[in-house]
Amino acid sequence: MDPLFLANSYFRRRRFDDCVELCNKVLQKNPYEQAFWYLKARALTEQVYVDEVDYDEEGIAEMLMDDNAIAKVARPGTSFNKPTTSSGGPSPSVRPTTQSGRPLSGFLRPGTQGGRPGTMEQAIRTPRTAHTARPVTSASGRYVRLGTASMLSQPDGPFINVARLNLSKYASRPNLSKVLFEYLFHHENDIRSALELAALTTEACQFKDWWWKVQLGKCYYRLGLLREAEKQFKSALNMIDMVDTFLYLAKVYVRLDQPQKALEVFNKGIEVFPGESTLLTGIARIYEGINDLTSAVKYYKSVLHHDNTHVEAIACIATNHFYSDQPEIALRFFRRLLQMGVYNTQLFNNLGLCCFYAQQYDMTLNCFERALQLASDEEMDDVWYNLGHVALGIGDMTVAYQCFKLSLTSNNNHAESYNNLGVLELRKANNEQARAFFQSAASLGSHMYEPHYNFSVLAEKSGDLHSSYVSVNKALTSFTDHIESRNLLSQLKEHFAAL
Amino acid sequence: MIVPIFTLRFNHKIFAGLTTVGLYDGKHPCLTCATTAGKILVHNPHARFNEGGRISAGTESDVHLLNIGQQITALTAGALNSNVNKDFLVAGTQTSILAYDVDQNADLFYKDVADGVNVAVVGQLGQIDCPIAVVGGNCSIQGFDYEGNDLFWTVTGDNVRAMALCDFTRDNEQELIVGSDDYDIRVFKKDELVSEMTETEAVTCLCPMSGSKFGYSLANGTVGVYDKTTRYWRIKSKNQVVSIFNYDLDGDGVVELITGWSNGKVDARNDRTGEVMFKDNFPSSIAGIIKADYRMDGQQELICCSINGEVRGYLPMEQSGGTTAPTTEKDVFRELSLKKQNLLTELKNYEKNVKAHKLPVGLEKSEIDGTPVGLIPANTQLLVTLDVSPGDANIQPHIVLHISTSNDTILRAIIIFAEGIFKGESHVVHPSPQNVSNKLDVRIFPQKDGVVDLHIKALVGYKSSVQFHTFEMTRQIPRFTLYIVAPDDTPEPKSSVVFHITERINRVVMWINQNFLLQKEIEAEDELNVKLICLRENTPLFVNMEPNQNGKITIKTDNMDLAGDIIQGLTTFLGIEDLQVTADFPDYLGYLRSVLEKVDEYHSTSEKLTAEMADHSNLIRSLIVRAEDARIMGDMLNMKRGYMELNTVNRDLISQYSIRCNNHTELLSNLKIVNQTIQKAGRLRVGKSKTQVIAACRAAIKSNNISSLFKIIKAGSS
Repeated sequence: MDPLFLANSYFRRRRFDDCVELCNKVLQKNPYEQAFWYLKARALTEQVYVDEVDYDEEGIAEMLMDDNAIAKVARPGTSFNKPTTSSGGPSPSVRPTTQSGRPLSGFLRPGTQGGRPGTMEQAIRTPRTAHTARPVTSASGRYVRLGTASMLSQPDGPFINVARLNLSKYASRPNLSKVLFEYLFHHENDIRSALELAALTTEACQFKDWWWKVQLGKCYYRLGLLREAEKQFKSALNMIDMVDTFLYLAKVYVRLDQPQKALEVFNKGIEVFPGESTLLTGIARIYEGINDLTSAVKYYKSVLHHDNTHVEAIACIATNHFYSDQPEIALRFFRRLLQMGVYNTQLFNNLGLCCFYAQQYDMTLNCFERALQLASDEEMDDVWYNLGHVALGIGDMTVAYQCFKLSLTSNNNHAESYNNLGVLELRKANNEQARAFFQSAASLGSHMYEPHYNFSVLAEKSGDLHSSYVSVNKALTSFTDHIESRNLLSQLKEHFAAL
Repeated sequence: MIVPIFTLRFNHKIFAGLTTVGLYDGKHPCLTCATTAGKILVHNPHARFNEGGRISAGTESDVHLLNIGQQITALTAGALNSNVNKDFLVAGTQTSILAYDVDQNADLFYKDVADGVNVAVVGQLGQIDCPIAVVGGNCSIQGFDYEGNDLFWTVTGDNVRAMALCDFTRDNEQELIVGSDDYDIRVFKKDELVSEMTETEAVTCLCPMSGSKFGYSLANGTVGVYDKTTRYWRIKSKNQVVSIFNYDLDGDGVVELITGWSNGKVDARNDRTGEVMFKDNFPSSIAGIIKADYRMDGQQELICCSINGEVRGYLPMEQSGGTTAPTTEKDVFRELSLKKQNLLTELKNYEKNVKAHKLPVGLEKSEIDGTPVGLIPANTQLLVTLDVSPGDANIQPHIVLHISTSNDTILRAIIIFAEGIFKGESHVVHPSPQNVSNKLDVRIFPQKDGVVDLHIKALVGYKSSVQFHTFEMTRQIPRFTLYIVAPDDTPEPKSSVVFHITERINRVVMWINQNFLLQKEIEAEDELNVKLICLRENTPLFVNMEPNQNGKITIKTDNMDLAGDIIQGLTTFLGIEDLQVTADFPDYLGYLRSVLEKVDEYHSTSEKLTAEMADHSNLIRSLIVRAEDARIMGDMLNMKRGYMELNTVNRDLISQYSIRCNNHTELLSNLKIVNQTIQKAGRLRVGKSKTQVIAACRAAIKSNNISSLFKIIKAGSS
């Protein structure tokens, strides 16, 4: 069979390894075989290809050292930075928050986990304790890993020696330049060279190719030159409307911490592409980010209207129903996910909780059992923690105590479990023990208000008014409108005034 | 004297000239200032946390910072989008302009501006429908609407320093007044240059006053008011003017000019006379003056900020009918008594004079009634002539001002007051007692062509006189002074401008005789042929007119500026409103070509350098995090290694930065040359043709079409 045909066929069947091997053979004989060179480059790129749109990982360094946002303290609802100041979101006492102080979402995606830490130490320590593997910078981390992994598989050195490439030669050959660019961008992760190639090529085609403008924008975005990226994306949009370009442009604004502008971009996109689910999801995510859950759910619903197998939308709506006290409806959404073939711990865990709160007790434990079977070590703690909740719900304190303990055995840093253990100890009147639990919970989960408040109550009872005052203030910083904390604070102030 | 009605203190420095006030939510005024580290301070005392119910404590909680990340060079706020009733913040840096919606935390637009942003104003300009943000950079002025579309573009002679919108022509449309580094104030009606005024220093601030009046200030500490092209008054101080503003401080319905000085003084001056009406002092230099209804009580306050973050607000002086009348009366009385005093002194002098004449001849005339007087013959006259001297190896070419008396009286001293040709505007010649005579020569070195009025004051008397008579006279130096008739063998300049006018030759000859300082008047019958040499650059200038060929005039000179000046002067004199010319400047265009090539080169280098720097800074960031990680883990060896590496990368980055800086300054200076060339090409034409040329040049540069640019400069259209 003709080797080119075969290689092409391998490529189309996504058997990239075979394809590369075949290309290697031909290229060894004749290194100037363009068709094989092209195919090999594409195959290598496809192996490591990640869609740039859904790919947003802010590294520790960016998070800590970059100041892309214009407004330090924006008006509530206009910034991702301080979501809790927005009114209209659910109360943290009903819907728990993540570390960033944002209500728990139904879908874990990059960039939703972290709030901006205050110091370098905090920033570095957080990824160790929490279950996030935040890369050092977005330029290192996964990008570098992708770039280097492929080199190992080639014993006779890299396929293309980037340093020795004459980029301006490739710039004038449109058939090769695109594939070379993608190779440099995705496989080699050499953004600088990719940028140079893109710049040369746009010039060669007299700035008339929108595709190259988008690629330039992607490079600038990766390099952190957001304003340049914005310019390129806008100029590309002037030439032709593309869903991708809208998404990229919105990403730039998200990075600049300008949710309203990002929404504007999405809405413009929707005018051109009505019902495009990626754009609608983008809008919903932004509303979720600025804590406007009502609008977020509205948009998730319209996503489902256009694409009824959208996992993210289903999960988010389900979570929202669950936390707005409608576990039966949430259950239906989760079951839909199950029908669609999602089969993992998290889902069963959620199903179990829904069943419990919807009073379908027969299913509850079955679901949790399934969840425990599927759980890996990292996920085990949350399942046990939730089981503890179920036990609390049926009033079986001993089982609850054991569940929380088990949760701690699989993850020694589970702040919520510590807090709940503290409450249980308090009930048993083991004040010293409870105090220790609250303290460790507070130190591990600085975003939670519960341990602070609990500690404050305990301290107030034991007469340690000063610690009580300090803790209640901490509780109020993470949850400003917590009534009990406010009452406690005014009570303490009265005490102090009396003194 | 009035006391401030409120004072605030920010713990931030405020940059001079970078303050504004905006209603970012459409209701509440917010004081906005540029502060250090590329940040903008927004003080919003009114609308904070209405939702959260939090009570603000002190000024600090009302202040929030916006991070621009680059040094801010211009700051203004205005209702840029007429569909929305709120103000937007416009911040300029050396490379870009950002229009920002403070309320929504969203960009309106962000644009790269290669010429930099030195000053920005927002408002309605001429007949453009929507409000635009006008941005002045190096030699260029750009206008953007709220979507960032480029609606307006023109060039000026030098870097723009100040801009203001004012109804200059009184036609209910705003004109743009532009002050630049080449001492000129230009007025643009849309992109057409309406009038031009030359000042004595770089123009630093401009502000509109009532009607067609506007205030201005110069880099040498001058501040004054113009009404259209006439100057009402001006005063000069040794301090620098930081900011000027219009505000009706005495409540009489006419705005005063408020000036903020670098020594912390704030004063208000009457717009007609320049009389100081109010003064206040700050401990540090003033940073900006604005007005706003800052207490939300319906009254506009005058707000002054100092660079140390102190803010004071003033209300107009209380004015009731009872207090005004006596002050006016008193003023009139004082004025009249001063007049009387002067008249009495004058009368006394005349009486003395009469007495002196009555005395017998031969008697010592120096003393009458025990007081010395310096009497001189009544027919004494002062003679003033101007002459051009080519200079020599040591002395530059200059104008010689010969001053002499008509008899044996001597010139004790001469004071010449003229704008722009002397350092500090005036020049005093005071020869030592041995050298006094009835003749004095003054050398004048004009730096550029232009009409200058010399106000000469001469002290005339006898050698032994103690008192002297003052002779005052005014002389005008014509526009083109340092030119002499060229010898016959002067080579012909390569470049030329050719145009046709329908005018008699005598009128052109008359203009030349009026505007050139030549020893002999030029005469011409049917063909004009003047050959001159410019002494300043030693370049020839040939002017040729052939009335037989449709009034064809050829100006041959290699200096494009000079050709432009001559054409502008001649057409104003002849009242020509539209003139198209054919210009051929081969040398200059060759130079322009090389400049354009360089601009391209610098652009591509800067792109590459930016990418490299971004890459490096990524590396630095990851190194910092790794080193810190090692520190927290107690792994000192790795930490040390990390920081060592960081040090080398950092050094690289700094050296790269200096390369980039150089690259940028070179790029800027080259862009400036390009803009100036367009301006010069415009000056060769008059009226509509001029506007067309500038617009066509802009289009050619935008589309990177160099050959068409050259064609436009040559022929006026592509």
